[in-house]
Amino acid sequence: MYVEVRGQKTYAATGGKEFDNSLPCVMFVHGSGLDHRSWALQTRWFAYNGYSVLAPDLPGHSLSAGEPLESIEEMGAWLADFIRAANVSRVHAVGHSQGFLDVLELARQAPELLKSITGVGTAGAIPVNPALIDAAKNSAGDAAEMLLMWGFGPDAQYGISAVPGMQPIAIGRQIMARNPLYEDLVACANYENGSAVAKSIEVPSQLILARKDRLTPIKAGMAFAEELNARVTIIERYGHMLPIEAPRQTLQKLRELISSLEEAA
Amino acid sequence: MSRSSYLKPDTVALHTGYVPESDHGSRAVPVYQTTSYVFESVSDGSSLFNVEQGGHIYSRITNPTVAVLEQRIAALEGGSGTICTASGMSALFTVFITLCSAGDHMISATQIYGSTATLLKHTIKRLGIECTFIPINDEQALRDAIQPNTKMVFCESIGNPGLEIANIPGISEIAHENGIPLVVDATFATPSLCRPIDHGADIVVHSVTKWMGGHGVAIGGAIVDGGRFDWEQSGRFPELTEPYAPFHGIKFWEEFGPSALAMKMRAESMRDVGAAMSPHNAFLILQGIETLSLRMKQHVANAKALLEWLQQQQAVTWTNYPDMESNPSHALAEGLFPDGAGSMLCFGVVGGRAGGAAFIDSLQLASNLANVGDSRTLVLHPGSTTHSRLTVEDMKAAGISEDMIRVSVGIEDIADIKADFAKGFKAAERAAGES
Repeated sequence: MYVEVRGQKTYAATGGKEFDNSLPCVMFVHGSGLDHRSWALQTRWFAYNGYSVLAPDLPGHSLSAGEPLESIEEMGAWLADFIRAANVSRVHAVGHSQGFLDVLELARQAPELLKSITGVGTAGAIPVNPALIDAAKNSAGDAAEMLLMWGFGPDAQYGISAVPGMQPIAIGRQIMARNPLYEDLVACANYENGSAVAKSIEVPSQLILARKDRLTPIKAGMAFAEELNARVTIIERYGHMLPIEAPRQTLQKLRELISSLEEAA
Repeated sequence: MSRSSYLKPDTVALHTGYVPESDHGSRAVPVYQTTSYVFESVSDGSSLFNVEQGGHIYSRITNPTVAVLEQRIAALEGGSGTICTASGMSALFTVFITLCSAGDHMISATQIYGSTATLLKHTIKRLGIECTFIPINDEQALRDAIQPNTKMVFCESIGNPGLEIANIPGISEIAHENGIPLVVDATFATPSLCRPIDHGADIVVHSVTKWMGGHGVAIGGAIVDGGRFDWEQSGRFPELTEPYAPFHGIKFWEEFGPSALAMKMRAESMRDVGAAMSPHNAFLILQGIETLSLRMKQHVANAKALLEWLQQQQAVTWTNYPDMESNPSHALAEGLFPDGAGSMLCFGVVGGRAGGAAFIDSLQLASNLANVGDSRTLVLHPGSTTHSRLTVEDMKAAGISEDMIRVSVGIEDIADIKADFAKGFKAAERAAGES
């Protein structure tokens, strides 16, 4: 569906069902250069199992209009405006990689909008190699190649796909090459609030980490989980692109936390 | 360059799509000669049917062995996904009916495989889809043929049987200016010699029966979704951008983006038409693909050596090979096929139709049959077989002469191929003397 946020047409996937704000809402936030499609194998399950789903494309990404936002702080503020524009009171926020930094900022700026937070393949800070930023400045396609080569785990590099017949690396490249990867990477590199925000978060939190993650190494994720006092799951064999590489395992962990919270509510 | 993998092509051909499975550690890809797959629960089955998760349901839609082949071909071509089908013709039919509906229009090069031409001229027409045929690489004719309801442009990267080279960059540029995808049948080249997606094609089709398999023991087809075409921006494809009723109103483009077309073909054509590749055939084609680049190198080397030798034979009246220097498509072939423009060649023999027939009948090593792309050398005399019912004028219009011999050059020792052909030329010369 399309929602108007700050006067801009914004696309949000709803998991294949009409959005119903009376249902408990799960919001999925994509990572650098990506879009709502990175959550294709999680959003539909929630939408068809009693939840409402919002998986926005951030401004200037894929199906959303507008200029890309320049900082994680701005992205957090934008997410708050997006939730309000969708007329939702509180969400379970799930973020992949940079998307989790956006969620952290949302938590700092508008904690009243959150029921829980989950980070997938992420940490409290995501330093970015200056060479990658330089590459992205010149060509999103070239930078996408570097990110995907490092981002996907060993099985995906050998063409293993959760969806029969498909090639996730090619799909990721097509999406990243058209999106403002440079702006996203700069925003990631500059974000330093993670640890401070972690101390203030009061809603339940979890991190789903990948053993073979080479972009946000598991060590950084584990350290941040401790700061956040989050429950942690480590998924073996897979790399940074967990929602795509290990969709079932990722979904299972999301279901466990979110369902338990909704049942308790 | 369009990439699906960071492994090199020869490694992709051997490994992509499969890691040794956990139950038995089988190093080679196992054959899942199976129809259906147990759901963990009712909820699990429901989520598979509703595309909430990936996985296998029923082998008409997907099969674990076929999926390995699909992922391997996608990686070799640099596409976002592949659908394998029962044959090359069913692959083409799947593409045509996925992109076109009754009342739609498409454009095809005239210089294409005879059965494809029949499909377009008669079968597809019966479904209310019109096709305009234009000479390949005629840019003005292409521009003139485009209509508001045109849904695709189709050509073969190397035409069959005339071996014309398609100017893929030029054709795709015009097609894209008009929001139309370019579909390329790349059977004669294989991704080892040319990856059409790198040159602007949006969808690539193969008869994997031919060089991809190479062994001549399994029929199959493949459709590669290049993943680059913007179906929404085109404005011509509501089937991909608007709700699809049989699947809870799913919008393929919004939901799947670069794999929208492949997912649509899977969800619709494989479900409704059911032209699925058999798991055993997928296994056999995988055995061929493992050695694809090695074989293609030898195919091309033999084709070039045979061509050079043919040009010195008195019984040979003419020769045709796409990147032969005298061929008008030489420069194009060099650009698109830097490692050689395949292993098909044609030539004429003395004695016309009788000479051609005598040549074929006297061969022992080369097989006289209606196929191409086998590792063995194959020959055909169109004037006596596939086109024997045509008049001389009709054959000429199809780019075929009475004396034409079509050769799919194999990977045997070139000396043996030459020796076999030498016997054929003596027979042709005798036939020419008698007539």
